[in-house]
Amino acid sequence: MSFTASSEQPVPLPHGRRGAELLMLAFALAVVLFAYSAVGLGLTGKLPGLPVDFLVFAAVMLAAHLAVRRFAPYADPLLLPLAVLLNGLGLVMIYRLVQSGRGGNPGYQVTGLPPTAATTQLLYSGVGVVAMVAVLVLISEPRVLQRYTYTLGALGLVLLALPAMLPASHSVVNGAKVWIIFGGFSVEPGEFARLALAVFFAGYLVAKRDALALAGSRVAGIDLPRARDLGPVLAAWAASLLILIFETDIGTSALFFGMFVAMLYIATQRTSWLLIGVTLFLGGSYLTALMFHHVMERFTVWLHPFMGSNPTGIAYQPVQALEGMAFGGLFGTGLGAGQPYHTPLVQSDFIFAAFGEELGLVGVMALLLVFGLLVQRGLRAALAAKDPFSKLLVGGLSFVLALQVFVIVGGVTGLIPLTGITTPFLSQGGSSLVASWILIGVLIRVSNTARKPAPQPIQDEGMTQVVRAA
Amino acid sequence: MNRALLRISLACLAMFVLLLLNVNYLQVFRATALAAEPGNIRVFDQQFTYQRGAIIAAGDRKDVTIAESRLIKGTDIYQRYYPQGKVYAPVTGYDTIYSQTGIEAAENGLLAGTSPQLAVHNLTALLTGKQKQGATVELTISPAAQQAAYAALASDGGRPAAAVAINPSTGAILALASYPTFNPNQLATFNGVQLNKVDGQLLNDPSQPLLNRAISQTYPPGSTFKIVTSSAAFSTGLIASTSTPVSAPPVWTLPNGHTLTNYASELCGNGNPPIIQAFWMSCNTAFGKIGMKLTAPVLRQWATKFWMNKPLDIPVPVAQSVYPQGPGWTDPSLTAYSAIGQYNDAVTPLQEAMLAATIANHGTLMRPYLVQQVVGPGLSVISSSQKTVLSHVDTPKVAGEIQAMMYQVTHNPTGTAYGSAGPQVSGGITIDGKTGTSQNGANPNGLDDAVFTCFVPGSGGQPSPIAVGVVVKEGGFGASAAAPIAVKIIQAYLKAHP
Repeated sequence: MSFTASSEQPVPLPHGRRGAELLMLAFALAVVLFAYSAVGLGLTGKLPGLPVDFLVFAAVMLAAHLAVRRFAPYADPLLLPLAVLLNGLGLVMIYRLVQSGRGGNPGYQVTGLPPTAATTQLLYSGVGVVAMVAVLVLISEPRVLQRYTYTLGALGLVLLALPAMLPASHSVVNGAKVWIIFGGFSVEPGEFARLALAVFFAGYLVAKRDALALAGSRVAGIDLPRARDLGPVLAAWAASLLILIFETDIGTSALFFGMFVAMLYIATQRTSWLLIGVTLFLGGSYLTALMFHHVMERFTVWLHPFMGSNPTGIAYQPVQALEGMAFGGLFGTGLGAGQPYHTPLVQSDFIFAAFGEELGLVGVMALLLVFGLLVQRGLRAALAAKDPFSKLLVGGLSFVLALQVFVIVGGVTGLIPLTGITTPFLSQGGSSLVASWILIGVLIRVSNTARKPAPQPIQDEGMTQVVRAA
Repeated sequence: MNRALLRISLACLAMFVLLLLNVNYLQVFRATALAAEPGNIRVFDQQFTYQRGAIIAAGDRKDVTIAESRLIKGTDIYQRYYPQGKVYAPVTGYDTIYSQTGIEAAENGLLAGTSPQLAVHNLTALLTGKQKQGATVELTISPAAQQAAYAALASDGGRPAAAVAINPSTGAILALASYPTFNPNQLATFNGVQLNKVDGQLLNDPSQPLLNRAISQTYPPGSTFKIVTSSAAFSTGLIASTSTPVSAPPVWTLPNGHTLTNYASELCGNGNPPIIQAFWMSCNTAFGKIGMKLTAPVLRQWATKFWMNKPLDIPVPVAQSVYPQGPGWTDPSLTAYSAIGQYNDAVTPLQEAMLAATIANHGTLMRPYLVQQVVGPGLSVISSSQKTVLSHVDTPKVAGEIQAMMYQVTHNPTGTAYGSAGPQVSGGITIDGKTGTSQNGANPNGLDDAVFTCFVPGSGGQPSPIAVGVVVKEGGFGASAAAPIAVKIIQAYLKAHP
């Protein structure tokens, strides 16, 4: 036994865990490849030919992994594989829906789904990954974003309001006035506005949170804020109501306002903001339900889907989704073997119902857990982040991701009234997919900063220590 | 900030937990209800893609398939086929692409394979890659008795008629025939236009072939109701024994001024015969007077013991036989009419068979049932029927007294069914019975409905093998139209079950 050994323990370099990420990425890709093959088996009884689409997808995702390795080596290794799994399964389902009723396959063609939809969606996956890498490259530190608080805030508001100002021919698809359409190319700016506004809220609240948190009076055990501090909350509420009224989009409005209230709560830790926010939202929803027929109709369909002339009436779509999922039961019909094409818009708002029908309860539970895990990793990054701006931004974005899944999946499965928003990563449509990938980019960036080891202490300097700022 | 973030995390967790609970509720607990929702496209499409279970008449030594699904050549869809055509239509019902009746409806979940009882089978089939399959339903129906019943009804001049045979000691239904009827194969088409056409023809047919007269229609019981009246009279002690004399004038003026007469106003014995003679000669005045003394509530009480006024399914729903409580139903004169089955009491042919079966089984009515057992795709028995007591109607002593009276109906030369169901007609088989001839006010050509209920008594320690109820619409005198049909069913059944 020797006592001459150096007291200097070698400082272990925290693992970047990129190897684990690659392994899980391979696993996610394997699941996607199996799903892709299952579609072929389910539709025609034969394995599909050379999966060129899949190879392209795998190559893009491997490139994404290399980019993370290069630009965010300490990032949470789960974020990318989870996003790849969801994106891949969404692609497989869109491919399956495109095949329906085409080339001698069973079923009939899904309205609004061109034969090229799967390829287009693959293209958007590529664009999304490029956008994510761009976030990693351009934003070396989360704090960089804080500089653009007001710029992004203004941009967000413009993006949000733009469809309302455009004529219907340039802004309405399927009754929702949330698009910008020019020359056959359409963008849903709300998806990007949410990200921009998250940055704005985070920057704004970090600056004002002391006033919002401390000033005010205590009434009946609840700390009430000062009247003038209510301004921004009321402004956000008014904006969300305006979206609701002018863009006939309850879902986006709920996400927008929910994100704001959650971030306000994270910033101030004041329960009163939550109460005020929820009261305002419920009151606003009630008023609009009274004022607008289509909002009331959503409630009626939710409560009585099988009423009257249904399921041929206004509830046809949700009833098809419910019956499809119930038909799928525990294990589903198998990919390609169900009849998801009965549900109108199954490729976008109702894609979750298609998974429920063909993959069954086990499939959708797995999907929900993947979403849940993604949200959990995001919140974990928020908890680990050191600067309040990052905490707020990532906390808010993770919450809104959970809220989005809750609103659309809850709507499709009859838990809450249906509002037409996209299912992150799964729904057909470029805007939502690219925005989701940008969100992953932000989460990767923040988790990288949070997990990056502190600079190594220089032992020679004796007592000098680098102190971690908590 | 971390405290708030943790709370936000809990909120996210709560949202996912709610979603997970809801998909479980939707895809498992609510799945059956949603599958049963009318207009469910997926369930509709699915019904042809796998083999629906067969229905088998398993009451004799040799089983007969009466409904099965066959793969249409060159396709992968199945079509329903009824090998015996019309004969079993009142039992099986039909299975169209839109709806079912009869056993096809009552056992639809098991036949279609959607019943929760088949969940394990379906799961096994799923995991082993086998095709999902419905369960086979084995019925208590005796092919011999059913064939004889249908042939007897069909060869009876085309009058609407129905016959039901029961095993009195178990309640197993041996035959359930109705005439005129339909061929269920006509309705087992995939062509919706063709189906609507055939369905429309059957619905508009004035002979009402879709009406299952055996269990869905009620008829006045006529004098067969005297079994109920006698049960009440013996049980309450109003009549001490079969030799107790009763007043039976040829014509009797009721309290309301109307007159009640015996059949053809004939004299009943010496006008004061023992009740057994009044029974075998079916004297209306004697039983009218007994009924009036018993009063309406007591008569109704015994009718209810025989399971009138009560719901029944076998598992096909049966129309309720009734002794109604209309306005003024306790009026003594109307009660006198009810006591001979002539006012507004009405029974199904199944109920007719249940009257005789109760007496045959010494006063205990067994629950009638059609399904002997259900066999899963792997030949495992999913459910099996046990005999159960439906009602304790009479004591064995009272039942014995009524049996003695029913014996005289067919064995005394002056009994109403001596010539039609007596031993010299039945080929030596002892049949105890009761005839009924019910006047039908709505009947345009004045012919009465003929009713006969009977059983073969047990002998040598064996229980009674069969009880039969027959109703022939406009058949005239009960003994001449209905009794021969019952005799033919009994002969065929006993030949197959020596």
